[in-house]
Amino acid sequence: MADRSEADRLKEETWIQRLIRRPEIGSFIVMVVIIVALAIASDGKAFNALGLKNNIKIIAQYGIIAMGAAMLMIAGEFDLSIGSMIGFAGMSMALMLKWGLPFGLGEATPFMAFIITLAMTLTLGWFIGTIVVRSGLSSFIVTLAFLFFLRGTTEVAFRLINQSTQVSGLPDYKENSWFANILGGEVFGWFYDAWYWIGQRAIDGMEFPARLPGETINMLAALNINRRLEQWVTGFDARFMWFLIIAAGAYFILSRTQLGNWIYATGDDKEAARANGVPVNRVKVGLFMFTAFCATMFAACQVFDTNTSDAAKGNLMELFAIAIAVVGGTLMTGGFGSAIGVVFGAITVGLVANAVFFIPEIDGAWFRVFLGSILLAAVFANERIRKRITGGI
Amino acid sequence: MAEPYLRVENLVKQFGPFTALGGVDLEVYPGEVHALLGDNGAGKSTLIKTLAGVHQPTSGQIYIEGKPVNFRSPRDASAAGIGTVYQDLALNQLMSVTRNFFMGRELKGPMGTLKMDEMNEIAHDEMLKIGIDFSDPTQAVGTMSGGQRQTLAIARAIHFGAKVLILDEPTSALGQKQQMGVLKTIKRVRARGDIAIIFITHNEIHSRLVGDRYTFLALGKVIGAGTSQEINNEEMRRLMAGGAEMGDLEKELAAI
Repeated sequence: MADRSEADRLKEETWIQRLIRRPEIGSFIVMVVIIVALAIASDGKAFNALGLKNNIKIIAQYGIIAMGAAMLMIAGEFDLSIGSMIGFAGMSMALMLKWGLPFGLGEATPFMAFIITLAMTLTLGWFIGTIVVRSGLSSFIVTLAFLFFLRGTTEVAFRLINQSTQVSGLPDYKENSWFANILGGEVFGWFYDAWYWIGQRAIDGMEFPARLPGETINMLAALNINRRLEQWVTGFDARFMWFLIIAAGAYFILSRTQLGNWIYATGDDKEAARANGVPVNRVKVGLFMFTAFCATMFAACQVFDTNTSDAAKGNLMELFAIAIAVVGGTLMTGGFGSAIGVVFGAITVGLVANAVFFIPEIDGAWFRVFLGSILLAAVFANERIRKRITGGI
Repeated sequence: MAEPYLRVENLVKQFGPFTALGGVDLEVYPGEVHALLGDNGAGKSTLIKTLAGVHQPTSGQIYIEGKPVNFRSPRDASAAGIGTVYQDLALNQLMSVTRNFFMGRELKGPMGTLKMDEMNEIAHDEMLKIGIDFSDPTQAVGTMSGGQRQTLAIARAIHFGAKVLILDEPTSALGQKQQMGVLKTIKRVRARGDIAIIFITHNEIHSRLVGDRYTFLALGKVIGAGTSQEINNEEMRRLMAGGAEMGDLEKELAAI
């Protein structure tokens, strides 16, 4: 058969070649390099009990919104309103918690504040998506409009209702509300309990002086033991769990479901997708709602963790989200990307953002220098992957 | 001769004052390749888009198995067994063969999960039936040749129930060898015996190689039709040139 020989021009690949061809490979290598470099440069502090918790906290924050941004980018659209949506959602929840439900409906429970806010943000996401698909305008410009619109609305609402652009000193809802606790509390305590248990066994029988020397404190920190020889850290921030849930959900949807196929098809060539019966517009509107959901989860975890909110929350986060999605191997032009890659991207960017806390000698602004460089490198790498997959077309 | 699967009677399509189709008749039989020939602007595209439900006819009637039908959308036409493979093929380059094959019509298991193995198998088998043994259905369509993509699009249309397969210039924009590959594919589909093929082309050699029946369009009207026995090569060339005598054309050219 004539066409048979043509198919055979593609080499049979070993599993290593297949692995290298995976879209996540670039972000995976960068992530490993960063982890090793940070561990060495911080003298292990970045991954001791508290270091890990703090790193995971920022990785989860970035990861939650980057996952939304990446899913939308795979479907071929951008959302620049993510950061302002975070500010808006945080404002909405904090104001309801402080001043009560709208229209004099009484005091807000954390659950009510969250649900009403989520209803608003999902509606906004639906509205933004509908404008984009109905008008055929670039999502870049439509969502840029909402970046300003939502940030302005947030500030105005703060000043009108609260006379100040921040809310602080809310009661600690985590203590009484299970709902606030699953958003702002701690999770996976067993992990740190186990760490402490191992730590106790490790120092069993050792004698410690009353004033611990620095090295001993470092050693104990790596064993989840504090200076008074008690358990140091008790759990991860709840946002870690939400990040895992959202990432696992995104992975499952993209690789295993019909909806995933529709998302890829929509971003690759939407006319081809439409011709085959894929509801392109519904997919896109749904994903704009998903980014709004991710922004709301980001804000909710922040509000219930710190019991504060202010009008500047989430500033620039839309750009970090897009940058992480690209570092994670998502194509700017749509149709290609993976949830696992985005997780790697979030770990990489989160670790570097936090590095200044573990290596005080470096100037924190290097983070942005790094992000800019790695973003550019990632764009080139992604383009190469795209060309390889499409055979150079 | 059996009943035609698809019959078109006096089909007229006007766009405002412009008459794109001025009363076209067409009969398409299962197991036959019906070559639709004509110059640019002859009305070929309008005719197939009307058959595919993209345009609604101004007057005239389309019959499927003798029953009059009205397509309000491409979905209607597709449900009635008309599968159109357009020139752009409606394929997504970055996606795998299987994901393209089932795009929009995925096989779902419990909880909406994809039955990937089953889908891989079907995509492979359906393509094998019409001539490509594709070893790896997980490879991206972007890596396939033009002829293979054409085969994929045809296999997909057949798998999803096409009884009339409309191929819109499947051999244009391909190299010689791949053109032959597509013609072989057309022959294999024809050999099944249950599918009627409308083969749109500019190329008289290609239409001669696979066609059983011909319809020539010029300026929105049928200027000639017949089976391959009825139309000899000379007649064919005359009709391809829009009805002008080849000799006249030679004289005209010589006069310049």
